[in-house]
Amino acid sequence: MRTFFDTGNAAIVEAAVLSGCGVFSGYPITPATEIAENMSRRLPLAGGFYIQAEDETAALHICIGGALGGLKTMTATSGPGYVLYADPYGWAISGEVPLVIVNAQRVGPVSGITGAPGQGEFYLSRYPTHGGNFETVVLAPNSVQEAFTMTMEAFNLAERFRTPVTILADQLVTDGYESFTVPENEEELRALGLEVIPRRAHPGPDFYPACDALDVPPVVLGLGLGAACSDWTPTAEGYDTEDTAEQMRHARRLIYKILAHRDLVDRSELHALEDDPDVVLVSYGSPSRVVLGAVKEARRQDLSAGCIRLKSLWPFQDELFRRKAEYFVVELNVEGQLVREVERASRRPAHFMGLCGELPSSAELVRAIRRILRGEALPPATDEREIR
Amino acid sequence: MDHLAEKYLRPRKIPSSACSGCGLGQVHKKILLAVEQSGIGTADLVWGTGIGCSGRQTFNTWKGDNFAGTHGRVYAMAVGLRVALPEEKKILLTVGDGDAFGIGLSHLLHCARRNVGVTVIVADNFGYQSTGGQYGYTTPHGFVTDSSPYGTDEPGWLQGGVDILDILKSAGATFLARHSSFEGQKAVDSVKKALDNKGFSLVHFIYPCVTHFGAVGLKSTDNGEIVRWFEKLFSTEGKSGSGPHFSSGITHDAAGSRPEFAAALKARTRKIREEPHVQA
Repeated sequence: MRTFFDTGNAAIVEAAVLSGCGVFSGYPITPATEIAENMSRRLPLAGGFYIQAEDETAALHICIGGALGGLKTMTATSGPGYVLYADPYGWAISGEVPLVIVNAQRVGPVSGITGAPGQGEFYLSRYPTHGGNFETVVLAPNSVQEAFTMTMEAFNLAERFRTPVTILADQLVTDGYESFTVPENEEELRALGLEVIPRRAHPGPDFYPACDALDVPPVVLGLGLGAACSDWTPTAEGYDTEDTAEQMRHARRLIYKILAHRDLVDRSELHALEDDPDVVLVSYGSPSRVVLGAVKEARRQDLSAGCIRLKSLWPFQDELFRRKAEYFVVELNVEGQLVREVERASRRPAHFMGLCGELPSSAELVRAIRRILRGEALPPATDEREIR
Repeated sequence: MDHLAEKYLRPRKIPSSACSGCGLGQVHKKILLAVEQSGIGTADLVWGTGIGCSGRQTFNTWKGDNFAGTHGRVYAMAVGLRVALPEEKKILLTVGDGDAFGIGLSHLLHCARRNVGVTVIVADNFGYQSTGGQYGYTTPHGFVTDSSPYGTDEPGWLQGGVDILDILKSAGATFLARHSSFEGQKAVDSVKKALDNKGFSLVHFIYPCVTHFGAVGLKSTDNGEIVRWFEKLFSTEGKSGSGPHFSSGITHDAAGSRPEFAAALKARTRKIREEPHVQA
């Protein structure tokens, strides 16, 4: 094993190279620029190609083109670029193209603040394109080591599900420095529970089969198999069709290939839930690290609290929210996105603390847990923040 | 088209669903003639398409491998595909004027700048005809269309001293030609040269739309009359008017003058791997 002290951006790059990424295409944007920079240095040494795109729309389209040519591909951006992915993201979902997309979330809307973490694309990562009739796979790391591991897992999930997989990180994870370990051989790879699934090619003629099966190889062009892929609703052979029955068949494939194999995607970390605490904090990404500290502190103060950290966001893990506890959701946006999903899954109102561009303090969270335990409502997000 | 269709096209997509009198089939045929005369087989070429009449009508007609892009993006997809495919595989794109000269122009120019080894065939019917006949970026200034009932208020890329092919030449394209869909072997020869160029080639085909541009812009659905109007664009007779006027043929041939993008990228990558010290 080799240990680095570097950023989440660097860890993501090491994972991509180890996964056999053949093309990276991106457009410079804070706080994901270092992914592009590191890729431009690392990929050629591994025989891959770095292509700087004219915009993010082109970046993801270049990745799709590379993937259609049989290479593993990745792109990385932040919110303002992620929204420009909307067009090719739909192509990749409907055309069933395996590739990896990284979003280092920063504060928005629009350009917002470049150097502050945000969690504003929780819902956008569920619906990153128009039209509906699809599921997405989204993973959310909270450390540099996990950014490494999840990127490798994302490449494999993309292959197995034949779909784009998003790493929804945030600026603290991508810009933050931590130690991380990289395996140097097969044995060390397996020791970390990792593997590299190679790219395959669909032999045809039914490139778009009506099934929820895993491991259907993707369409690869240039092999002379009479392959066909497009943005149109496909027949099994890839012909464009206006037949609504074919559209239904396609939509069911896009949805159930993922929902029927949830066990491969679902990831969560539960802490101090064994004694069914009265308050359960819910978070993902960087805030989850403060939340864990706050729960440990609350326990030291004999407060009945535990926490759920979502490591995969979509499909949403409804079954984690069947407890009798009061849910308390902490996220890096003021309007509350994850909290709506928790309320839907648990079928009752949840408590919420949302901040813009900075993490809450552990003390703040412990105070909030006390208020909830006393049956008091938290101050609305529009109120001035309590002094730490 | 029979023997060509049998040799290269999928029976399920032929005949196409194009309107009667549409010139697109003639453009399609010239491409296939060039493919045949160049000795290209179905496994040698990947065919991509854009959105609009020319994209939808030609998508997955090719017996080999096919892909289609969303509107204006197929040039960016081709960049990634070019890098992934072996050098000897050809990439051909059939797109429309809205796709290439409107929504996709930025990607097209960047594709030309990089000298990506693709052959782009722009089948130009002077506007957005598949959505019912709105004006585009080659519609002559002042023409009545479904979205310019009083005549268009802006000039196109083909008049007033501006020519989109000049812009593409400046951007770095290494082969450019323009023809009408009525031309014969001369147009086929241009497509052959375009396919033979290792870098970025574009052939601009102007063809008549009877259903919309003809009916609304030219106020005629008479095929003969419409064809004569289009022919005038390329004749000395058309030179005296204020509208667009072209000479047909190759407008720029710099084939082989600079490296093809993917080939150069691969060569550079090999060099970096052999001599990693050249990298920081």
